[in-house]
Amino acid sequence: MVNESRRKFLKLTALIGASITGLSPRKLKAAPKNILDKNRMGVLVDTTACIGCRKCEWACKVAHNLPTLPLESYDDRSVFRNMRRPDDKALTVVNEYPAKRQEEFPINVKIQCMHCDHPACVSACIVGAFSKEEIGAVVWDTKKCIGCRYCMVACPFQIPAFEFNKAIQPEIRKCDFCFQRTKEGKLPACVEICPMEALTYGKREELVKIAHEKIKLYPERYINHVYGEYEVGGTSWMYLANRDFVELQFPKLGKNPAPGVTEAIQHGIFAYFVPPVALYALLGVVMWINKNRKKTVEAE
Amino acid sequence: MKSKILLLLIVIHFVINAQTKISKSHSYQQLNCSTCHSCQIPTKENPCLRACPRESMIRIDQKPEEGPRILTINKIKETDIYEPVIFSHLAHAEMAEISGGCRTCHHYNPPGNVIACSECHGLQRKREDVSKPDLKGAFHRQCMNCHRAWSGNTDCLVCHQLKGKGKLVSQNKELIVKRIHPEIKAPNKITYTTNATAGKQVTFYHNEHVNLFNYECGDCHKNDNCVKCHSKINTVSTSKKSTKELHNKCSNCHDTNSKVNCSFCHSEKEKGPFNHLVRTGFDITKFHSKLSCSRCHTTKNKFSGLSNECSFCHGKWSWDNFNHKITGFILDETHGELECNSCHKEPTYSKLDCSDCHEDKSYPKDKPGRLIKRL
Repeated sequence: MVNESRRKFLKLTALIGASITGLSPRKLKAAPKNILDKNRMGVLVDTTACIGCRKCEWACKVAHNLPTLPLESYDDRSVFRNMRRPDDKALTVVNEYPAKRQEEFPINVKIQCMHCDHPACVSACIVGAFSKEEIGAVVWDTKKCIGCRYCMVACPFQIPAFEFNKAIQPEIRKCDFCFQRTKEGKLPACVEICPMEALTYGKREELVKIAHEKIKLYPERYINHVYGEYEVGGTSWMYLANRDFVELQFPKLGKNPAPGVTEAIQHGIFAYFVPPVALYALLGVVMWINKNRKKTVEAE
Repeated sequence: MKSKILLLLIVIHFVINAQTKISKSHSYQQLNCSTCHSCQIPTKENPCLRACPRESMIRIDQKPEEGPRILTINKIKETDIYEPVIFSHLAHAEMAEISGGCRTCHHYNPPGNVIACSECHGLQRKREDVSKPDLKGAFHRQCMNCHRAWSGNTDCLVCHQLKGKGKLVSQNKELIVKRIHPEIKAPNKITYTTNATAGKQVTFYHNEHVNLFNYECGDCHKNDNCVKCHSKINTVSTSKKSTKELHNKCSNCHDTNSKVNCSFCHSEKEKGPFNHLVRTGFDITKFHSKLSCSRCHTTKNKFSGLSNECSFCHGKWSWDNFNHKITGFILDETHGELECNSCHKEPTYSKLDCSDCHEDKSYPKDKPGRLIKRL
């Protein structure tokens, strides 16, 4: 009798759970906050104009209250000997790729969050801490973050960094497109300081047009590819270069948004409560076998 | 009716005149319409002009001395770290003469006057129209493009001076006014070893082109890159250049297309310096050595097309315009009556034939023999 009621309860909860979670994936896809604004901002990085002064690195650290050496120390170009990646202490870094021919310049490439139009991190975040803002920035709420680091795995550009060396309250860090500054009507710190205006801040739509105009006007200066225009469904930061982006260590990505892939896998697996049901089924089978074995032992 | 026709004629006259006026200023720029106009049918009200670049329509080809000597760049005041930049316009203009002229930097200029960078490039970085860089970006891009190329250096202090350090701006100005590009030491002779199958050597006498043929630097050096002279590694690879590119240097004056003339420049061993007799078959050492080239070669930079017949330059000689005494043969009364071609059978007047009247003896080795016939 007791057994029967427990079985019923289990069945019922399983059914309810399945119905709720079965519906939920569709709801989670493209959270309402993340609808793309037509006037969202972006940055066009002209790698042929960048001289590798690294003033953007300094300005970024100052704007985000990160410890930094004085600006003069950034004149040291020996850092270019190694390829660097943005981390929790430097949200943006500039790398240098040597010139192919003597009369050419070395290419300097600034790396930071690309602020995707369809961000994988937003999709991957299990607590909904990440969001794509109207202005174009992909930001996150530190209070909501539980430190699962799914965003780090999901990001096709491997940008989010984690304060691994902090024992207490480590946080996720990445470029936030100077969300606070732009809210106040200021420019992103890196854009503001760039002496060459190699970083052009403007409406993404316009920047795409400008980029193509530039390619048309100076076909010998640029290759016909605006990196970020279509990559993973488009990014807010876009790049112009004079050689293939693969040579500049940009990941070769398709046109489909990254969440399309991750969400399909994730939601596919969890759709219609398959894993828990399967688990319950497996446990049930194990229990049934054990019960049968007990019976046969008792019978003997 | 008459007045109508008159009116029509006046209208037509104005229309044609107006059109020719525009087309004249447009056509000599030899431009594609879409270089400047973004729409198909530009009108006066809506010319739909593109902002940049309009390098090809620039009409300022001033001499470096015509521009300002120095410029003080002090429009950008957002930071107070640096003193205003004192820019030696003259030194840069002089260098630009051999690397593309004024348009190296002044990439947009409507016909007539030189306009300041700040006319198009605004001071504000945060702005609506981001299709062209702001003034700070524009200046830096302009300067760094070359400065980076020749020095490989991006140090700010090459152009900027920290405030309160070093010399006063006024002193600096004096220094920079004096600072012009040092005289370029041109080579006398360059010997190229080429890949040509016949005639590997091309000997180029630079000094002759400058001193003898009176070429200006800018006649040949049109798009030289700073790196050509200023480079950390002082070699410029020519191996990757195509045959056409290599020939382009000379093809302005020399015919490099026809296969017949190769030996003009190419030879198996080094060629000697210019010799008028060898090159043209006309000896100038005797009578013409003191003349400047331009006395005969009147069109600048054009040396061909002259005949070696005396009359080509001198016209018809007569008693009045030619003193025969300077040739060493005084025309006495007897000889004076003769026509020139009685003795000078060839139009070059080089050889003398006395055999018509005198017993054959070759003059001037021997005196002519006795008279056999009177003309």
